[in-house]
Order: sequence, then C-alpha cells, then structure tokens
Amino acid sequence: MISRHQRILFWVLVACIIAMASLLFWERERARDRISALADATPIDAPYTNTESITLDLANDADGSVTAATRAIALPDEATARARALLEHLVAEYALPDSPHPLQSGAAVDDVFLLPLPIVGHAIDTSAKPNPGGTTSTVPVASTDPAALQPQTPGGELAVINLRSSFVNAHPSGVEVESLTLLSLIGTLHANLPQIEQIRFLVDGQPRETLAGHADLLRTYPSRDTTVQATVPDAP
Amino acid sequence: MLAVATLPCLAQTAPPAVAPVPSLAASPAIPFNRGVILLDPAHGGVDSGSRISDSILEKDVTLNLAFKLRSLLSARGFSVVMTRDSDAATQPGSPNPLTLDDRAGIANHAHAVACLLLHATAAGNGVHLYSSELEATPGEPPANPWLTAQAAWVTQSQRLQKQLGLAFTRSSIPLVMSRASVRPVDSLTCPALVLELAPNGSDNSTLNDSAYQQRVAEAIAAALVFWKNQAQPPANLTPDQIPTAPSAPSTGAKP
Repeated sequence: MISRHQRILFWVLVACIIAMASLLFWERERARDRISALADATPIDAPYTNTESITLDLANDADGSVTAATRAIALPDEATARARALLEHLVAEYALPDSPHPLQSGAAVDDVFLLPLPIVGHAIDTSAKPNPGGTTSTVPVASTDPAALQPQTPGGELAVINLRSSFVNAHPSGVEVESLTLLSLIGTLHANLPQIEQIRFLVDGQPRETLAGHADLLRTYPSRDTTVQATVPDAP
Repeated sequence: MLAVATLPCLAQTAPPAVAPVPSLAASPAIPFNRGVILLDPAHGGVDSGSRISDSILEKDVTLNLAFKLRSLLSARGFSVVMTRDSDAATQPGSPNPLTLDDRAGIANHAHAVACLLLHATAAGNGVHLYSSELEATPGEPPANPWLTAQAAWVTQSQRLQKQLGLAFTRSSIPLVMSRASVRPVDSLTCPALVLELAPNGSDNSTLNDSAYQQRVAEAIAAALVFWKNQAQPPANLTPDQIPTAPSAPSTGAKP
C-alpha cells in the first residue's frame, strides 16, 4: 500500500518534470529566434565586401626594383573610389614593419579624379554677340599641346591624384626613393585600371614642384608598366 | 686650338693634347666641347636637400663630391664648370637664389661633353644613376623645347650611363641604373645623368667618408676619360633646336 505522502511526492515530481520540460522548450525557442536574427542577410554596408585579386607594384629601395605582387582585397566598384582604395592599400603596405620601401603610415591620397581624354576647356567666344543679361558666351576648346592630354585609345582617361600634404611632407627625400614611390603608384593604377592613360599629381589640391625635393610632380606621367629590375651594365 | 677642339668631327680623331678653356660664348652650332664637364652639386644655400642625419646634409655631400671630382677631372685635362662652388647657390653677381632653370641654363651654355647632376640620399646603398625619362626624338623638334630639350640627347645620355655603370661595377661599387624625371635634367642639351650617392653599406655616415667619396669620384673620372672620345652629337640637331632658358645666366661658377 503506497502511503498518501508518497503519492503526493510522486505527483509533485511529475509536475516539476513537466514544468522543466516546458521551460527548456521555451528557452530553446528563444535561442533559435536570437540566432536567426543574427543571421539576417539584409544588406547594411555597401556591396563591395567581396575580395578580389589585384596587382600592386611594390618598390624596393635596396636594389631600386619595382615588382608586381598580387593581393586579395575588397574594392568598391566605382572607378575613382576604386583607384583611391588601391593607392591607400599600396601605401599601407609600405607602412608595415620591415617594408623594403618604408613610408610613414596614414592616409596618403585625398582624392583621385578621372577625366576623359582629350581634356576640353572653355574659352570666351569672341564672335558671339553680348548676351542681354551680361553673361558671356563660351566655346569648348581642346588643349593646344599636341603631345599631352590626348587619348591613345577611345575612352582613355587622365587620373589626377590629389595627395595629402601630410604624406608628402613626411616622404623620405632622395631621387631613388621618390622615383620609386611615383613608379609604384603609376604602375599599380596601370595594372588595375587600364583605362587610365595619363597621370598627374596635386598636393592638397595645388601643383607642387617635387615630391620631396627631387622627383618631378609637375609633369604628366604616362600610365605604364613600371615593373623594373635592377640594371647591371654588360661587360665590355 | 680651341676651334679644333670644339669641332666634334675633328676632335674624334685628334683630341686636344691640352685641355681647352671652356668657351661659354661658343657658337650654338657646336653641340659640345669634349674637354668640358659640367658638375651640378644639387641644392645649396637655404635649400639643404635631404637631411641624411643630424649632422649630414645633402647639399654638403654633393659639394664635397663635386670638389673631389673637379680635382680628378682637372688632373686628367678636363675643364670643369660648376653651377656652384660654395654653399650658397646664387645667380652670378646677384643674391637671387639659383633656380633649377638657371642651373640648366649654365649647363647648356657650357656645351659640356657630360653633365652630371650630383645628389645624395640615405636610402639604398652605392650609387644610383638616372637618365631622363623622355623618349628619344632625334631630329624632331619637341613641342615644348625647354621642358623636353633632353629628348634629342637621351640616346647619348644612356650610353654615358652605361659607361659610368661599367666603371662602378669594375670598382665594386653597388649600382642601381634606371630612368627618372628629376628637374632640370629634361632641359639639358648635353649627355646628362643624375648621379645619386648613397651610403656605403647601411651606415649613413659613410656618405661623409672622404675615402668613399674619392673612390666614387675616381670611378667617374676614369669613365669620363673614355667617354670624352666616344660622345657623339645628336644626328639631326640643328642650331635652331638648342633652347635656352628665358632668364638663364650667361655664365656659371668656374674653378
């Protein structure tokens, strides 16, 4: 004969088991909802987080060489943002410890502007009659320089790289080190943005004679493959 | 004697036994004078160039190297024209600082058989030799003569670069040869190179080492003796194509 106290204890234990099972089921449902919320695929950032293989032309001060190296990085699709991101990645490589071409870390490129070639400006149209409102008529004019600012192929572009003065002022001084920086920038753009045919440099929006006292920043550079190996003269 | 020495066709077969005096007033029809070397110690005055260390400035290294070169070249029969022979880089007879165009003007008036633009840096080691990045355009007038005057001479500059490179290799001096756009080399109407002296090894203080500078200078001087008779004027260069700077001085500092 089971005593009354034992029956009461049995049914209390059964009730506890049912309550515990209900609690566990409820907690499991909550956890599943939380994980589902974390896995939400709704886009938040701009859709350029997919990495791609790009080529960086890396300089080496020891032997004066520029060699191509591939990296997998995420880049935006828009051309000017892409060019700027490429150059920032390149300069960031040089800021790493033991870099063969050490440069100061930090942002180097303020903007990159891509202009379709040929460059066309505007001049006052001397043959037009004065406008009633006092405004002046203008006509588009092409550059008078036959060698520069002309596209080699249709769709060719001029890239204007606006460097930050903080980067330029901290750049090491010397013919080799400055030339290698320019070659590296030019070669990286050439390898990844083939529509760029010519490149000019500004510093904080203004033209500057040299990068750090030597390499010419006023001229227009042709976009080209700048990978070079150290040259050793042939024996006579 | 001067006339014979400054005629390229005759000077190739009969080089002068005595070094001619550089004639800055020579006819522009004469491409160069085989007995004249132009040295341009870069920077000077307030422009100290690269700060190699707390006590070493680029302008001092280039001037010291130029003095050593001048002595060696003079001993080998050359007349040496220098764009500056003291710390200050000023226009002749004027306190105005020497611009890069002024330096190019001095070089072009000297009609030198070789123009060496001397620089120094703490980066790399050995000697860095650069010729102009301009593409050779023999006989074709460039669109902007002053900024592209070197185009007619690029082929000769590259031959001179090879000659100097061989001399450095023989002297076991580490060498980097390339092309660079460094003003005012593109405005020079002579076989022109940018020569950058880097440390001997990893110690920057070797840039001030007299023995190291002397070794480099001797290699250059030996190469220029060979170059003296190898240089050729551009094939189709006419007197009308030799540009001058708009306000270039008519003479430079001479030893």
